[in-house]
Amino acid sequence: MDEEAIIFIVFTAIIPVIVIANMSTFGPTIYAYIAIILAGLTLAAILMISFADFIVFPTVTSIFGITFQPFNNYEITKHQEAVIKNVKGIYYATGFLTANLFAFEFKEEQVEENLNDKMISSLGNWEKATMSIDFPFKFHIISEGLDVQSIRDELEGKRSYQEFNLSRALQSGSANDVIITDIQRKISIIQAQLDRISQGERPIGAIMYFETTAVGVSKKAALDVLTEQIKRLQIAFTGMDMQMLRVVGRELYTLYKFNFMLPYDNINITTYFDTQK
Amino acid sequence: MFLFLGLLGASLFILIVDVSVSTVILAPPIKIIILLIALFLDTLAISSRFYSYLIFPMFKQMKRHVVLSKEDPYWIASSLDSILHKEGDNYIATVYIKIPLYRSETEMNVDEKLEFATQTSRLLGQSRMPIRFTHEMRIINKDAYIETIKNMIADAENEESKLLEQNSTASELAKVRGKLSMWRGMMDVLNSSSSLELLTYASVSATGSQEFEAIGIVQQRAREVISAVSAIFGITSSIVTGNDLLKFVEPEYMIPYSTISEKIIKTINV
Repeated sequence: MDEEAIIFIVFTAIIPVIVIANMSTFGPTIYAYIAIILAGLTLAAILMISFADFIVFPTVTSIFGITFQPFNNYEITKHQEAVIKNVKGIYYATGFLTANLFAFEFKEEQVEENLNDKMISSLGNWEKATMSIDFPFKFHIISEGLDVQSIRDELEGKRSYQEFNLSRALQSGSANDVIITDIQRKISIIQAQLDRISQGERPIGAIMYFETTAVGVSKKAALDVLTEQIKRLQIAFTGMDMQMLRVVGRELYTLYKFNFMLPYDNINITTYFDTQK
Repeated sequence: MFLFLGLLGASLFILIVDVSVSTVILAPPIKIIILLIALFLDTLAISSRFYSYLIFPMFKQMKRHVVLSKEDPYWIASSLDSILHKEGDNYIATVYIKIPLYRSETEMNVDEKLEFATQTSRLLGQSRMPIRFTHEMRIINKDAYIETIKNMIADAENEESKLLEQNSTASELAKVRGKLSMWRGMMDVLNSSSSLELLTYASVSATGSQEFEAIGIVQQRAREVISAVSAIFGITSSIVTGNDLLKFVEPEYMIPYSTISEKIIKTINV
């Protein structure tokens, strides 16, 4: 949980807390209970919106049948799962899938001993997967170089902490081999990342996603084909060690806008997405 | 943030009033209704963290179909080398750079594969500014080719009817019919499946208070990307111009209209 989320939750949770603290001011017992129930539901809603807005928001828009027109001639469906464009009576539905290709994600990658093997085999796997697809799709990587010094400082801090843990475990004598091996493994991962920076590789923040478009003579037809295409993409790229989740809600809108304008400032782009952090 | 603070403030104010006023002045059911309003505003406040762009239009329009913008999402710059989008008072220019990388892993040995993967990794970390690299599979627009074949079929049919009128020999007629059958066969093959094309490109954006300023900055960034691609892969990439830009932006250019029409006609005929 990031600091921003905590701030938002704490501030908004004040309101239900005030309600619970002053429940007697709402009248006889029955009204006090109603007030507590409403406050409890609001607290639950606050937590749901903070941690699972991709479930809450599409549910709300689906129940009320709310659709959005982000720009002329485009529509975001009520389930918040696709952007539809109508061209001469033909509907084009575009959907997105997250695709964290971990081997290329520096910041959070787990440096493994067989990383080179993984990178070598990834080319073949990619080509095989691509060849099995017979519909249009795009694979996007939005990357930005991160500040080398701040990442180095962060990694050195983490390494020092793990080294402290290791020395404490060795001194205590009560730690078993499994714990010691685990700490040593963590240190070697951090060290490998530091070595890569020392060799001149720049740490990057990246967002990776698939985009696919389907056509149909009606919105439903286009959406049905789109869902099928997304399933086929998920199957085809199974061998790539990717986390492929269908994007819904606000992230769909953000990704769709990336087709016309990308982030242009030097900010951490991964903060745009909860699913890719 | 202002929207969040505004909604939270309104919620807090309503709640304080609700709690402060005695049940003698406000009946308990009315107090509960006011409480509901306060809690609703509180829920909206937390929602504004992610959905500030939606909250105002939704409540202003009070319709099931919420219009966030009636404008086109972009327009092509007069220099034909970038697309422009206006956000507030600023213009955002985006440039697409084609990367003609046609290497297959089947023609690489193990060292070359590792080198290629490392080069790709290096390319991703080239810039402090965000760059998007895309691998796009699109259906080729075969309109012109299909038109040519249709003309060939029409010519062959004319030739056949002329020969029939002139009572030509059976061999001449068979030759023309063979040609006709060949073109028809080719047309069937062409329509039986889509032809796909695989493209790799990069895109970058920049902002400016004027169109030319945004375009100038983005062109500079594009040149940096071109240099990086050239240095790492040893290939010459180029900025995409004119209608070719639409291939990367519009969904109907990923699946050409004529291809769909053909598919639909075939489905109906079947």
